[in-house]
Amino acid sequence: MRERKKSSAVEVSSVKKKKEKKTKDNNEPREQKEKEESQSIMKQQKNTTSRSKKEKQRKTTEDYESLRESELSGDEVHGTDRDVDNADDHHEEDQTDGSEGHRGVEESDSSEDEVAPRNTIGDVPLEWYKDEKHIGYDISGKKITKKERQDKLASFLANVDDSKSWRKIYDEYNDEEVELTKEEIRLVQRLLKGKAPHTDFDQYADYVDWFKYDDALHPLSNAPEPKRRFIPSKWESKKVVQYVRAIRKGLIKFDEPKEEEPKFYLLWGDDSSAAEKAKHLAYIPAPKPKLPGHEESYNPSLEYIPTQEELNSYQLMYEEDRPKFIPRRFTSLRSVPAYENAVKDSFERCMDLYLCPRVRKKRVNIDPETLKPKLPSRKDLKPYPVACYLEYKGHKGAVVSISTEASGQWFASGSTDGTVRIWEVESGRCLRVLEIGEAIQYVAWNPLPELPVLAVSVGQDVLILNTGLGNEEEQRRVKDLLHVETPTAPDDNMASIVSWLQHDKLDGIRLRHFKMVSSVEWHRRGDYLSTVMPAGESRAIFMHQLSKKLSHRIPFKLHGLPVSSVFHPTRSIFFVSTKKNIRVYDLLKQRLIKKLETGLKEVSSIAIHPAGDNLIVGSREGKLCWFDMDLSSKPYRVLKCHPKDITNVAFHRSYPLFASCSDDCTAYVFHGMVYSDLNQNPLIVPLEILRGHTSSNGRGVMDCKFHPRQPWLFTAGADSVIRLYCH
Amino acid sequence: MDMNIETPEDQNEENSRRVQVRFKTKLKPPQKVPSNSIAIPSNLTRFGLSSVVNNLLQAVNPEWKSEPFDFLINGELVRMSLEQFLLAKGISAEKVLEIEYIKAVAPQKEEEPSLHDDWVSAVDGSNPGFILTGCYDNLGRVWKAGGVCTHILEGHCGAVSSVNIIKSDVCFAACAGLKYVTVATASKDQTLRLWKVCSGSWDCTISLWRTNDSDAAGNQVSIKKRKGNNQVEEPQLEGEAISTLVGHTQCVSSVVWPQQETIYSASWDHSVRTWDVEMGKDLSDIFCGKALNCIDIGGEGSALIAAGGSDPILRIWDPRKPGTSAPVFQFSSHNSWISACKWHNKSWFHLISASYDGKVMLWDLRTAWPLSVIDSHKDKVLCADWWRGDSVISGGVDSKLCVSSGVSIQ
Repeated sequence: MRERKKSSAVEVSSVKKKKEKKTKDNNEPREQKEKEESQSIMKQQKNTTSRSKKEKQRKTTEDYESLRESELSGDEVHGTDRDVDNADDHHEEDQTDGSEGHRGVEESDSSEDEVAPRNTIGDVPLEWYKDEKHIGYDISGKKITKKERQDKLASFLANVDDSKSWRKIYDEYNDEEVELTKEEIRLVQRLLKGKAPHTDFDQYADYVDWFKYDDALHPLSNAPEPKRRFIPSKWESKKVVQYVRAIRKGLIKFDEPKEEEPKFYLLWGDDSSAAEKAKHLAYIPAPKPKLPGHEESYNPSLEYIPTQEELNSYQLMYEEDRPKFIPRRFTSLRSVPAYENAVKDSFERCMDLYLCPRVRKKRVNIDPETLKPKLPSRKDLKPYPVACYLEYKGHKGAVVSISTEASGQWFASGSTDGTVRIWEVESGRCLRVLEIGEAIQYVAWNPLPELPVLAVSVGQDVLILNTGLGNEEEQRRVKDLLHVETPTAPDDNMASIVSWLQHDKLDGIRLRHFKMVSSVEWHRRGDYLSTVMPAGESRAIFMHQLSKKLSHRIPFKLHGLPVSSVFHPTRSIFFVSTKKNIRVYDLLKQRLIKKLETGLKEVSSIAIHPAGDNLIVGSREGKLCWFDMDLSSKPYRVLKCHPKDITNVAFHRSYPLFASCSDDCTAYVFHGMVYSDLNQNPLIVPLEILRGHTSSNGRGVMDCKFHPRQPWLFTAGADSVIRLYCH
Repeated sequence: MDMNIETPEDQNEENSRRVQVRFKTKLKPPQKVPSNSIAIPSNLTRFGLSSVVNNLLQAVNPEWKSEPFDFLINGELVRMSLEQFLLAKGISAEKVLEIEYIKAVAPQKEEEPSLHDDWVSAVDGSNPGFILTGCYDNLGRVWKAGGVCTHILEGHCGAVSSVNIIKSDVCFAACAGLKYVTVATASKDQTLRLWKVCSGSWDCTISLWRTNDSDAAGNQVSIKKRKGNNQVEEPQLEGEAISTLVGHTQCVSSVVWPQQETIYSASWDHSVRTWDVEMGKDLSDIFCGKALNCIDIGGEGSALIAAGGSDPILRIWDPRKPGTSAPVFQFSSHNSWISACKWHNKSWFHLISASYDGKVMLWDLRTAWPLSVIDSHKDKVLCADWWRGDSVISGGVDSKLCVSSGVSIQ
């Protein structure tokens, strides 16, 4: 409507211009004025709306007759655009009526009400009807057809011919031409000049003071202005000072202009994005149901259809493992039956959403490989025993204990069949069989290479036997050493516990104890040996000196059943393991140095690193403890590897290797590197599981010992075979 | 019709490609085939080639009895089908292929084993007339062919671990049984002669022992030859070692003295060392990472070192190759420790190895597979040697001395 108004106004102005051109000759100055006026009005028309223009009009005609005003307002109420025309009509009427005055206008107002606008389309853009044949509808709903438009040439010719053509205006809304009367033109001209539209309106009439009264001289209140109106407020200034100080101190911070966040958002983004999480405290989106795939189609491809075999295999599955949906083929969509589980499925989905507690799992994104300890590869730790090439067969019972000779040429083995055998390592030949006649508990070869003597524990005896190896001179010395004179009894008490006797059958000494001897251990010098009697209580551990044929009781309290003992490889320190703990004694100072707490249920064996600072302990529950005695009295590392009892553990004398053997018929080989740098902890790497033995009476591998020079491991099995694992 | 009558074999031959070959040999005329080239199917294996050659020989000489041959292409023995071999070696099949054939090296027959009382620990067959064995029952024995024991050498109080024949008419036994070395020689001329010998031992050293001819004169002992009581009475000759070669860190398991001035030794400390006799120093050492049991020198220019040890791999080094101690050949068909290895004294390519898995294998350097496996022992084989150039003798834990004869090496 506004646009229409503008366009009509523009037309008016153009009309006016034409007229001005025509009247150019008559009077120059006037025309000049008119031009300026028209320009200014055009600007106004462009800038202001019709309503504001009307109000301007109203302002200019402030003292216009009140009725006239009401007429204009009535126009407004109607909201039609006929007001100008109507106004013109009125002017015409005014003109015709002459001095008829305000009454006539009132009548015309009513008559104007009767003339309704022809077109009833309302306030819609006329462009909507641009392509139609009609321009709108009249009051009875009939289409108002467009008139035939003259072509440009014809209209031009008509304009030239018709002298009144400049007064014609095209009314787009009603699709008709309106010819302005002379009075209307004059009115327009006056308006353009900024004058009152009617000539009889006096712009500068005398002022009528409607509010004039007699006591106007006196003010309503005679009270004088209070002083506070003229002085600045004290509290305000205090407050101001307070604020100023606060600002200077930086207590009051002014809000920085907020950076406007971008209003757009990711339309297809995931609901549970990080931004979403930040906004809502604990919003966990419900799990989305699985979307149907190809197999849910009513006519899926053949590869989705399960074969009869697959269907049968589904029947064998557990209920929860079975696929929920079995694809089937239908020739058409209408042959698809109703889904029988629809209600159940949606119910379950609801239950899932409702009942299933949703917890945000904090998943730490760590590569599991990085969590593994950085161990060197096994290839770099060669050599270590890998494969069994040699077997030493000959024993008839389980081989309980083995011991290697210091040079590594021979080794001895003791078995439950009552024999001790001495073997050649290289060829697997049994050099000698020593018939003892009773189940052997333990064999230990003297660590001195020039003293080929074997200590064997059998029941309550410990036999020190000559192996018969070595050259003649050595044999002579051994024979001297193994000779016991008639048993002297310096101390009756002692004699009842341990007695030194000459062995009758075999070439050697018999040390008679008062209880079963479980293990024998040589001191590194080859002169002392210690024996352990688990049932001996306070006299459980003895120290024997071979050269003087003397025995001593270890003067320490043990607090537990002793299992085995071991000498420190370099210092005069002695380790005794009880079932739970390991006690470390200083033999020179005769006192307890340390107590190592294994935390195991039952210790079965103990071995010491050749450097002397590290200790491994095997237990009946299959655990292996590594003690670093510099670190603490607790195990440095506990290796849980064997499923059954560990029967024995062993360190290699020169290679960084240690091994454990167990009743599960395996022996484990580990790399155990001890660094001379005290800051570096020992490195333990599992290397190899050696299998090959068979179980016999629930026992597997009974003993394991390393070859003293080669990285080879001897294992003694309950299956009466000794195996040598080589690198 | 002709097309239909074709036999399946013919079709196979049609399907496979044909190769133009020419057979040549260094064998003597009755085994020589005409040297014109023939086309044979490329899928023939060694057996097929052998039958082709036998057919050709039969065509020349109708009385020819077929025998197995081995085939060499570019100095390598053919051990797969001809086509695969050519593909593997990248040899063109377009040209006429020259195939050299030699007699297949395999023992033809097993002789009756000679039974001992205990484990046979050492054997020597360097004299074509007899075999000398050492045994764990402290005796040395001299055997004639056919399992007849002619002499029993008595005198050791420990197991004999090594025997050696020095000259063709003199036999010599050294025992390192119990850390002292007894040197004893006995000969048919009923004199004892003592020679300069060397020995390795468990005390990580190699000792050189000099024995003088002059001493021998006073040590003449007569051999009483009686029925059922063959004995050699011998003196104990305790000499001082003239020099000791120290350098090994573990027991010296084997020594050989092939030339006047150098001694080779293998040890459990994983090394093979070469010693200069005069200087008493080691010239070079080769480390192999395994404890070594046996060593022998032979092959091309008598310079290759063969050694076996505590793993199933027989390694061969070439000490002339500069800058490397990697073995030039590795034969790994055994299953257990290798206890003995010996080069053939004439051939550059052939050697035998004995292993604890009870097998003696015959190797040719020109192929990685054993030429033949002698599986006559029931238990560990402890020693093996060549005898007369065409037999392999071996002794083992089953107390037998096995002789496999008929190995034809040119």
